[in-house]
Amino acid sequence: MTNNKKSIRVEIDTYRDGEKTIIEYVFEKRELGERPMALDVLLQAQAKKIPDLAFRFGCRARNCGVCTIDINGRPRIACRTRVREGDRLSPIATLPILSDLVVRRDGIARQLRNRLPTNSQANELNVEAPEEYHQLTKCIECYACLDNCPMHARNFTRGKPTDTTKPPSDTQQGYRWGNPFTLLKLQRVRMDPLTTTTVRESAVDTAIMLGLESCIKCPGCKCGVGINLKGVVIKPLLEAANNSGRIPPE
Amino acid sequence: MVEVRKTIAITWLNYDVIVVGSGGAGAHAAHAAASLGSQVLVVSKDPIGASDTKISEGIATVRASGAVDDSETELSTNLQMAGGDLPLRSITNAFAADSEHAYDLYRVNGLRPSIDTERNKPLSLPLPLGGHTKRRSVGHENCGVAFSHANWQIILQGQNITYIEDAWFLDLAVRKSPNKNEHGHSINEVVGGLIYHAANGELLAVRASAIVLAAGGVSTLYFPKTDTMRGNTGDSYAIAARAGAELVDMEQLQFLPFCLASPPSYEGLLAGEPVTASFLGVLRDKSGKVILDGVYLRTRAECSAAIMRAVEKGDGTENNGAFLDMTANKKAPLSGAYFEKFLATCLPSAYQNVRQALSKKAGRCEEPWEVRPAAHYMMGGIRVDADGASVGGPNGDGVRTKGIKGLFAAGQSMGGLFGANRLGSTSLTEGAVFGARAGRAAAAYSRNSDTTQNVDLIFKPLIATHSQFFGQNGTLSATAIRLALQEESWNKIGPVRTARRLQEMETNLKKWRAKLYKIKTSSSTTWNQSFIDLQELRNMLDAAGLILASAYERTDSLGGHVRLDGKQISSFATPYSVIVRSISDGTYVARRVIRPRTALKKIISYKIQEQKRLLMARWIRLLPKGIQDKILLKRYQAIMGEDLKAQETFPGAPEAAIGELTKP
Ligand SMILES: Cc1cc2nc3c(=O)[nH]c(=O)nc-3n(C[C@H](O)[C@H](O)[C@H](O)COP(=O)(O)OP(=O)(O)OC[C@H]3O[C@@H](n4cnc5c(N)ncnc54)[C@H](O)[C@@H]3O)c2cc1C
Ligand code: SF4
Ligand code: SF4
Ligand code: FES
Repeated sequence: MTNNKKSIRVEIDTYRDGEKTIIEYVFEKRELGERPMALDVLLQAQAKKIPDLAFRFGCRARNCGVCTIDINGRPRIACRTRVREGDRLSPIATLPILSDLVVRRDGIARQLRNRLPTNSQANELNVEAPEEYHQLTKCIECYACLDNCPMHARNFTRGKPTDTTKPPSDTQQGYRWGNPFTLLKLQRVRMDPLTTTTVRESAVDTAIMLGLESCIKCPGCKCGVGINLKGVVIKPLLEAANNSGRIPPE
Repeated sequence: MVEVRKTIAITWLNYDVIVVGSGGAGAHAAHAAASLGSQVLVVSKDPIGASDTKISEGIATVRASGAVDDSETELSTNLQMAGGDLPLRSITNAFAADSEHAYDLYRVNGLRPSIDTERNKPLSLPLPLGGHTKRRSVGHENCGVAFSHANWQIILQGQNITYIEDAWFLDLAVRKSPNKNEHGHSINEVVGGLIYHAANGELLAVRASAIVLAAGGVSTLYFPKTDTMRGNTGDSYAIAARAGAELVDMEQLQFLPFCLASPPSYEGLLAGEPVTASFLGVLRDKSGKVILDGVYLRTRAECSAAIMRAVEKGDGTENNGAFLDMTANKKAPLSGAYFEKFLATCLPSAYQNVRQALSKKAGRCEEPWEVRPAAHYMMGGIRVDADGASVGGPNGDGVRTKGIKGLFAAGQSMGGLFGANRLGSTSLTEGAVFGARAGRAAAAYSRNSDTTQNVDLIFKPLIATHSQFFGQNGTLSATAIRLALQEESWNKIGPVRTARRLQEMETNLKKWRAKLYKIKTSSSTTWNQSFIDLQELRNMLDAAGLILASAYERTDSLGGHVRLDGKQISSFATPYSVIVRSISDGTYVARRVIRPRTALKKIISYKIQEQKRLLMARWIRLLPKGIQDKILLKRYQAIMGEDLKAQETFPGAPEAAIGELTKP
């Protein structure tokens, strides 16, 4: 059993100035039977072997959403995913790499810049939001959902940024095509009881502009913290787009 | 291989106001300044919004939300007394005045609390949180994450707001103004700041006449014994101190008493608060001896002190903590079920941590929890007035003409609001209230100042210093020094202190500081981790120096920490705050300023109440089990409703009180 072993061997993909090196690291357990999280392994590797290893983390408690990495090629929240012998840790494959396990994230949020008006005219704030609304503010912005999203893939010539993809130089604009996260943000505005009809409609327009039609035949998104994206984000947006006749029915 | 030393590109920019940080304080400052027409740059080293605000329990103080008679004076006095009379009246008054509506900006941007339809206000938790004298704490679905969605909205959709993330604000550019203050001394004024944009691989030299520091706290100095975000490396304090600003109450750190001590992945994360111990919870040392009873009525500080004293005596548990024993609550045949429900609902994320980290039996409270304090919040900070403007000078409140002109602070960065103790749920509101105040003041100031003309020379030395840190030759790593610093900070300037330990810390700090220029860094310009590590280490060293210099002046125990070689400062003693500043690289000077004390009558009546409540708690514990159980059943039902329904309104309260007030 792996559990009785005193150590766990993993591989960490590191990238510096466009060059990739795979480093083997042997995690030494700190207690009998310890089952470390991926983040524990990275912290120990930094303390003992690679002092300038670059990776993101914040809360260690699955709240801040910044520590997402790929483990064996699938996006995982590093502070809450246990590693096993032989696991491969690498930066998430859906965004361009800055260094080691750190990817450039800001092109995602920026695509909604100035496209989601705030209800600044709201004069009656004391309204209750429906339960579904609170499903949407569960999102911790971990970007695990970019994995396997055909809409997001349209941003890159070969579907994914390559190891050497340079981040776009003018990042003030953000990516052209959308993703589950930005659609969730649009749907949040639509579900907010204070949103005006005009803004609600413009949110659907924005979703269509970002490539909503990719969702029609897509088997659906997976959320890192378990939000039912298909049910609470994609379906209602597609329905709204269908109803307005701007997108063919499913 | 010969390393070719690259030079880093420098881009010059102009803004009216720079806001450092994208948590609650930063977002509110940016919004306020932009609304007054300022061009605002928000700079954040973490991805936009990723901050303590985002990972918080999401409970905010909204004055008058739960009680009609919750006046401004009531709340201001509450903060004042809780803080041991260290807070400034002008600042607690400002908090009390604005805390009814400052939070509305969150709501305009999508934060949706439950509504108390009778009162047409956000629904507050059913009882006052620990230390509050009134019901005024509002909980939210999805905790801090819901606040973060609103901050994201404020920053991303804001007119006149530009933002950059993955960008480290390094230092303020300050010049001695040709103008003199009324005492004939020259005035220091902000002319901009230098930023490392890691994602773009460049330095940004930004000319701006006003800067709001909203860059959070310093708990990472104690990592892994902390529950906060990694980015809390004391940047606000270090940056302000290096520019010559004064800071206040920097020895006052808040430690949460009941955090996890093991397993390692969970070390430091929150397990419970005093109130979760409920009526029968006690603290025990390793041999099972009760070291603190009536836990649910105690402050965070008292519980931390009890645990740390036991550890110091050699009576600590395996991982240097104590046992929080709540098994008596659980065993009671009638009230036990209510306790269980209470525990599971009043603090869901903390309880989740416990169930994941500890044994099944511990999860069901059939076994004590091993707990240990962890760093949570810096109650001191940059010395400011009620509008967040940097102040200085000998008198209690300080004056702007002796501060750094154009420098503002808000949120955890600022001092003067909480003094020796922060009440639960006040910090999210602090960000909204003082973020908005500082943002407005910064916009007004920048409109009337022309400090961005001919200032490029002032940036020169800054650019030179920081360029040196790229591709620095050396043999040491910042990581190794940081790890040593973190361990020593816990032992010497943490929850337990002595004069001797402070001196040892001073020696260590000198040694580490000397090593800063012997750290090897890479010359990469894009996301240079070794450069970032060096910068953050430098900030942590400065912050530790400020804490240390202030701790020397606090010779007895007060607030967040215990002085083993001193006595407990009584509420009747003359209160004083410690003011600290840096006079040269690595040298800090501290002095005391006397604070006015709350009227004796108030303190005495408060003390009597406190004793009464503690006696009551003891009396209940000593009753025969059967009678005890019946009394407790009634109490739980009064709070939670017989059908256990009322607690559905406890969305993650860290200190959702069960019955009595805990004392300030
Ligand atoms: C687990 C937990 C639970 C809590 N629960 C509650 C609660 O329920 N109620 C309550 O009122 N309070 C609570 N608090 C406290 C509260 O969350 C924080 O004190 C408050 O959010 C601080 O807000 P802020 O805006 O000052 O700083 P933060 O929200 O921490 O934001 C700091 C920002 O500054 C940035 N930054 C830092 N340094 C730099 C730099 N050099 N350059 C650029 N950017 C920088 C960071 O990236 C971040 O964006 C809790 C805290 C924790 C840790
Ligand atoms: S359903 Fe739409 S958003 Fe979700 S993964 Fe598919 S294309 Fe992407
Ligand atoms: S929708 Fe889910 S997976 Fe996507 S960013 Fe939000 S939390 Fe992460
Ligand atoms: S470190 Fe915050 S989610 Fe993992």
